[in-house]
Amino acid sequence: MSLISLFATPDPTQTHSWILPETSEIIYGGISSTIVFALLVKFAFPLAKKALQGRTEKIAKEMSDAAQMRTDADTEAGDIRRAVGDIGNERTRLMAEADVQSEVLLREGRGRITVEVAELEAKAAADLVAAASRIGDELRGEIARLSSTTIDKVVRATLDDKAHQDLVESFINSVGASR
Amino acid sequence: MSDTRIESYATALVQIAQAEGVLDRIKDDMYRVARAAESSDQLRSVLNDELIPAERRQTIVESLLEGKGHPLSSHLVGLVIGSGRGRDLAAILDIVAARGASASGMNLAEVRSAVALSADQQTRLAAALSKRTGKTVDLKVVVDPSVVGGIVATVGDIVIDGTVRTNLDQLKSRL
Repeated sequence: MSLISLFATPDPTQTHSWILPETSEIIYGGISSTIVFALLVKFAFPLAKKALQGRTEKIAKEMSDAAQMRTDADTEAGDIRRAVGDIGNERTRLMAEADVQSEVLLREGRGRITVEVAELEAKAAADLVAAASRIGDELRGEIARLSSTTIDKVVRATLDDKAHQDLVESFINSVGASR
Repeated sequence: MSDTRIESYATALVQIAQAEGVLDRIKDDMYRVARAAESSDQLRSVLNDELIPAERRQTIVESLLEGKGHPLSSHLVGLVIGSGRGRDLAAILDIVAARGASASGMNLAEVRSAVALSADQQTRLAAALSKRTGKTVDLKVVVDPSVVGGIVATVGDIVIDGTVRTNLDQLKSRL
């Protein structure tokens, strides 16, 4: 019987069992399966094992990195929290310092304004006195000017010939009388 | 002009007049021309004007003396003007007049009055001033309206002021 005839089964219903293959098929199938399995064990399994081992190492490394990153993140979070705390303290300190400085500035400003107001009041009072004095002087000067002008006009108007002669005679007499 | 130069010109004029023996006669002319030059800006301007010929200015001086002055007077004044010293003419001639009076044994007494004085008043005033200063005075009266009223008399360095102008000025100062 040829090999083809061995595989060829014209009618399955004529086998010895409807579920088990032929004995030769079991033998050849077992042998070939064993060879395939051996080949797999010899070549495929080490590769698969190596791939799995690499994957395991990679995962382990990633986990280690993740753990390190988490540690770093925790450290950084601690630093940030500490910095936030420092910022809060600095803010509080700056606010307190600003309050003190503003209080000092306010006090100095009030003092300075008080002094300036006092100086301005004194200057205004002095200006008022000076203005009053100046106006008084100007008024006196104007009165004097008007008075002298008026006196001049009145005197000239009243100096008639007789008055002139009286003045001349008075001068001659006074000069002659005095020695 | 400096006082020294004015004095020098006056001395020169006096010496010329003395050499001619007419100092006593020309002193009144000098005084009249001095007063005229002093009182008139226009006259001073004309006498100082170099563009006007000296002869023309001499004629003006002679007209000031109204023909009554001594001939030497106009020549002496012309000498001053011709020398370009017209600006100081009054000062020079005043000194000549004063020295003329002094040469006569008198002191020039310049009297400024608002009104003209009568001959009687001039005589009495001269006597009063002589009594007051102890010097014989040669009275020269100038009618000066600026004194307003009264008289101011100047004899050498002595000034006797009885003018209304001065009294008004003092009153204004007090006011």
